Amino acid sequence: MTAYFLRRLLLVIPTFIGVTLIAFLITRLVPGGPLERELMQIQMGAAGAGGEAVGGAFGGGVEIPEEARKQLEKEFGLDKPFVVAYFLWLGRVCTLDFGTSYNYREPVWSLISERFPISLMFGLTGFLLGYLVCVPLGIAKALRHGHPFDFVSSFIVFVGYSIPAWAMGTLLLVVFASGQFLDWFPLGGIHSHSFDELPAIVRDNVDRDAVMDDFDELDWEKLPFIDKVIDVGNHMALPVFCYMMGSFATLTILMKNSLLENLGHDYVRTAFAKGLSPTRVIYLHTLRNSLIPLATGLGHALSLLMAGSYLIEWVFNIDGIGYLGYTSILGRDYTVVMGILAINTILTLVGNIISDVLYAMIDPRIRFQ
Amino acid sequence: MTDAISPEATDEPKTATEPVLSVRDLHTHFRVEGGIAKAVEGVSFDLFPGEVLGIVGESGSGKSVASLSIMRLVPDPPGLIAKGEILLRGRDLLKIPYEKMRKVRGGEIGMIFQEPMTALNPVFTIGMQLTEAVRVHEKVSRAEARDRAIEAMRQVGIPDPAERLKDYPHQFSGGMRQRVMIAMALICNPSILIADEPTTALDVTIQAQILELMLAMKEKKAGSSIILITHDLAVVAETCDRVVVMYGGKIQEVGTVHQIFEEPKHPYTRGLLASLPTASTERKSRLSTIPGNVPSIMNPAPGCRFSNRCPEAIDRCSVEEPVLHQLPGERFSRCHLVEEEALGQVDKEKADV
Repeated sequence: MTAYFLRRLLLVIPTFIGVTLIAFLITRLVPGGPLERELMQIQMGAAGAGGEAVGGAFGGGVEIPEEARKQLEKEFGLDKPFVVAYFLWLGRVCTLDFGTSYNYREPVWSLISERFPISLMFGLTGFLLGYLVCVPLGIAKALRHGHPFDFVSSFIVFVGYSIPAWAMGTLLLVVFASGQFLDWFPLGGIHSHSFDELPAIVRDNVDRDAVMDDFDELDWEKLPFIDKVIDVGNHMALPVFCYMMGSFATLTILMKNSLLENLGHDYVRTAFAKGLSPTRVIYLHTLRNSLIPLATGLGHALSLLMAGSYLIEWVFNIDGIGYLGYTSILGRDYTVVMGILAINTILTLVGNIISDVLYAMIDPRIRFQ
Repeated sequence: MTDAISPEATDEPKTATEPVLSVRDLHTHFRVEGGIAKAVEGVSFDLFPGEVLGIVGESGSGKSVASLSIMRLVPDPPGLIAKGEILLRGRDLLKIPYEKMRKVRGGEIGMIFQEPMTALNPVFTIGMQLTEAVRVHEKVSRAEARDRAIEAMRQVGIPDPAERLKDYPHQFSGGMRQRVMIAMALICNPSILIADEPTTALDVTIQAQILELMLAMKEKKAGSSIILITHDLAVVAETCDRVVVMYGGKIQEVGTVHQIFEEPKHPYTRGLLASLPTASTERKSRLSTIPGNVPSIMNPAPGCRFSNRCPEAIDRCSVEEPVLHQLPGERFSRCHLVEEEALGQVDKEKADV
């Protein structure tokens, strides 16, 4: 089995190369790349300097010297043939050098890694809450299959599943944060930026003067740890709910169906025939079997490092990975795009292997060859 | 209609003892879409200490549901034991509280099932599944329970039991798994073993071994009995003392294994026997079958359940339901012909309609 997993681990390399190669090719083929953008900006700048009103994007008409063009091509790595450029990129990636963002003028790695905590915070909370809620809910639904509780919870869960997260986010903001109806949660961001923004309970707790800086602005870092947690939790509540809503239905119904299916198995009858209590039969014998399909999803917890939905981040004004990725694609910031893609690919591939390891660990029948 | 068999009306020496288990007028129904399926309708039989009782019938005859009813293992819903008594040494199992019933399951009545492949939990070791069966009924330490499990496995002939306790069900062959099932069912020394098609899923060579093992285990505990549910008459002939033949949720015939095989008193039993291949059966000839299918238990036609397939049916059969007639020698048959024969009102020719 170790050999199997070693082989799987080695297979990550060609898969990774395949995925990134295709993406790299796309960045070369799609029109409107960084070079065109840069040239356009220069032309527009030149046109602006010439005092002419620029109507359209291509209204400049200023010739760009050949050397300058070459210079730019070199900067974007476009001077070399595609394959050479790709392997140069790959070589740098191996040393965790993802290059510099064209737009932010910052190393890609720091752009991404400084957003890890946000992703992890949302991803992990959503993930844990999801399992904490969906597993018991699925069990309860399976045991009350066909009862009103089952119907009502299914209805709620599927309504949540059907509403797009961003629409739900907007709705939640209007109802719970705008103050138009309720004012329980902040409108966005990760933590408060002013004292008044802090949740009431924190405001009552801390000494106002102690957390203010010299300009009478809130210095968030000065807050006691517990109050930081409360403040962040307060900001996270609505977006986390939006993150969970989608996966909620899948996980709950998966749990329910898995348990229901297992309850019909012969070994359940055997367990009852031995004289075991229903609690033991359901929560030990049956649950252990029905958790197998759910547990395989745990491997993908790795990808939580890069979790982030652009739309949710946009609605809640969070500067996370999703927002970064989306704006980089729009801005043709290909070093960032490739960086995010490379990290995501690795996390997904390794996550898959971890899932398989978990699968083999909890189901004794699984033996990979 | 007097469907109940009276155990007192006997003069045979064996039946003079009290039955250990008496099923009386058992009705088990399933509430399904479109009505109520009466899987078991008025079944009564006795199980005496030390005997092997065979319950025989085609798929859908209600034999398995009857055995599950004894253990109160009929899934509810949709199943429901609508009526009847199941007396274990005089105590009605259908009336005792659930916690008491748990003590009966595995403690006083052990049960094994058809599919040893799926009847064991795939994610727990055999050792865990055996020891928990001990520990649910007896206050013993883990170590004692483990010793009991090893002993039980040794008794059913599993080699190297101490090592094999750590193995999972999928690491055993079908026959070995059925041995584990027997060990598990008998680990608390119940006096009754219900075996629901225990050999159906096994190789023919393994079948005989498992049957022998069951009989040997029964001999080890004096006065213990077996209810063997099967559709395989060959198995019945090899192992059973008495036979209950079921069809359409009702008992059709009861008798000793000799009576049933040598002098069947019900056309259905005769049909079952005729469908058995024998050594003299020509290779190329087709096996004899009973034409038609098991009748619907949703909307049973009036009259005898078997009348639409019965080669000997007379006019009365499709109109009037026969009762379970008692015949000399502790025998019962649910057939108008038997009654009419006994009364001397009809001769064989009339039955040929």
